[in-house]
Amino acid sequence: MAAASVRDIRLDLFRGLALWFIFLDHIPTNIVSWLTVRNYGFSDATEIFVFISGYTAVIAYSRMLDAEGWPRTAARIYRRVWQLYVAHILLFMAFSAQIAWVSIARDTPALIEEMELLGLGQNPYRAILEAALLKFRPVNLDVLPLYIVLLATFPFVLPVVVRWPWVVIGGALALYAATSHLNWNLPAYPDGKVWYFNPMAWQVVFHVGAACAVFGPGLSRLDRFRGPLTVLAIAFILFAAFIALSWHYNPLERLVPTWVARLIYPIDKTNIDILRFLHFLAIAWLVRIAVPIDAPGLRWPLWEPLRRCGEASLLIFCIGTFLALSGQVIVSHYEDSILSQILVSILGIVIMCVAAYIAAWFKHGHARPSARVGTATGTSR
Amino acid sequence: MSRAIAFLVAALFLALGGTAEAKSMTLCRAKPELLALGTNLPVARKAIAEKKSLRIIALGSSTTAGYGVSNPAFAYPTQLRIGLEKALPGIDIEVINRGIGGQDVEEMAARMQVEMQENPASLVIWQTGTNAAIRHMPLEKFDSTLRAGLRLGKSLGADFILMNLQYVPAVVAAPDKEAYEKIMADAARDFSAGLFRRYDIMRGWYDDGMPYAQFVQLDGLHLNDFGQKCIGRLLTRSIVDALKAP
Repeated sequence: MAAASVRDIRLDLFRGLALWFIFLDHIPTNIVSWLTVRNYGFSDATEIFVFISGYTAVIAYSRMLDAEGWPRTAARIYRRVWQLYVAHILLFMAFSAQIAWVSIARDTPALIEEMELLGLGQNPYRAILEAALLKFRPVNLDVLPLYIVLLATFPFVLPVVVRWPWVVIGGALALYAATSHLNWNLPAYPDGKVWYFNPMAWQVVFHVGAACAVFGPGLSRLDRFRGPLTVLAIAFILFAAFIALSWHYNPLERLVPTWVARLIYPIDKTNIDILRFLHFLAIAWLVRIAVPIDAPGLRWPLWEPLRRCGEASLLIFCIGTFLALSGQVIVSHYEDSILSQILVSILGIVIMCVAAYIAAWFKHGHARPSARVGTATGTSR
Repeated sequence: MSRAIAFLVAALFLALGGTAEAKSMTLCRAKPELLALGTNLPVARKAIAEKKSLRIIALGSSTTAGYGVSNPAFAYPTQLRIGLEKALPGIDIEVINRGIGGQDVEEMAARMQVEMQENPASLVIWQTGTNAAIRHMPLEKFDSTLRAGLRLGKSLGADFILMNLQYVPAVVAAPDKEAYEKIMADAARDFSAGLFRRYDIMRGWYDDGMPYAQFVQLDGLHLNDFGQKCIGRLLTRSIVDALKAP
């Protein structure tokens, strides 16, 4: 298998960036979130995170599939699914505890009510049951359940994607189209709700990412169309940027013709609207052109915190989600203070980086000196 | 390196400038005449006077369910309860959220009876029309289903307030949105139900120069935190005015 004989540090770097963005975007009204991708087009950090997760899943498990066979690989994937599940439940627990602590510490009924409205107060036993089933998820805890479902089906996708990546792309697109047309989704709690990130729609990002990892260097076949594809990508990104800016300036908004508006809105997130997906693919294409795998700038020390965060993605995701809630509480306490938003954002990212460095230090302390770069577990984390 | 830092600083300044300008645009407001419901809510008044309680069902789609807001308590039904508790001290206020995303008038009229039997309420806020408009439901069908739902609901003995469409890019682009609005206004009048003019209130924000990003999520359809909280506050004011009118 050609897939990734050298470790592609772009994956860690951009996954780290996506984790920073997710943290910044999860603090409402945060001015620093102006630096994140979602303000300049249709897609946001979720697409980056899910795509890279699909890509790294192939890198992590395809060689193991060759060497040790399907049963062991599947078992290894399910061990990872279990880790994700445990992380999610722990995060749920820590998240709820933080809300409880804030409402008790402040002793304000309004906050306790908010907590109740997170679904725990009215019927806590039922809520805990539904949380264990991944059906009840407080706000911002939607990404990990999506990842769990995607990885849980991955043992059945892996043997196909390494042989016939186009079949997987075709199947993923078909399921995506059917889901959007027929309004399929998984049930959530309270009754009547559905998953915020519909796994049957979002799988298309994950599986296209997985197929790209199998293509690996073979993607250079697309370079025959490098010129036209790049022009298309740039044109689409400019169009998306114009629309995104129009949400902030009404005079621009009035320039959008009605037929265009009728065509593009609503730009659904739950079922990942095709515009979001195309926007992400356009960005991914330009990144591939602008940042080749051996780009010297990738080793720039300034990027190292990003890479470290990307390497410990599960840990950093959980910490970031937890901190985003703390950030939300602090920022709302200081009303509209821009300074508090900037400080909270910087502090949160510093904490995430420190945790990532500790994780790296801890892991390398265990590894034998002949650094097993690119082995299955190494890249999956 | 210095170029990257200069870029970051410039971006931050741009952002700061943007919000400084938008600051005057963060006021939650509506012309007073848009807040008149056109009913004095007799059943709700009676419940408040006799039982010292007011139970409200919020029947609707994603706005009611609170899709995509950063805290479920920001959705307008909870904001309404918090606002009414403040405005009507001593009255036991309950707002039951029965919003189910993606539904419109057909599904909601179909579950009307069950919802009202499970939770006998004196006031039903029925938020509808948006999904019908963006999915181009035939107007006659919208009209007849809405009226059938109102007839049934009224016969079960509750006051009704219809909350009409939201003024957001996805709805503004829909061809017949004003026709759906008119159908709702006519039906409200014929069944002496209240009408909460969400569409006109929100259009007022936009026409005053408030950008969509201030009150709409990035999907161009759903109300964001500000939009939800503001609608909740204005709806509270409408209901309190109607209850206190002579």
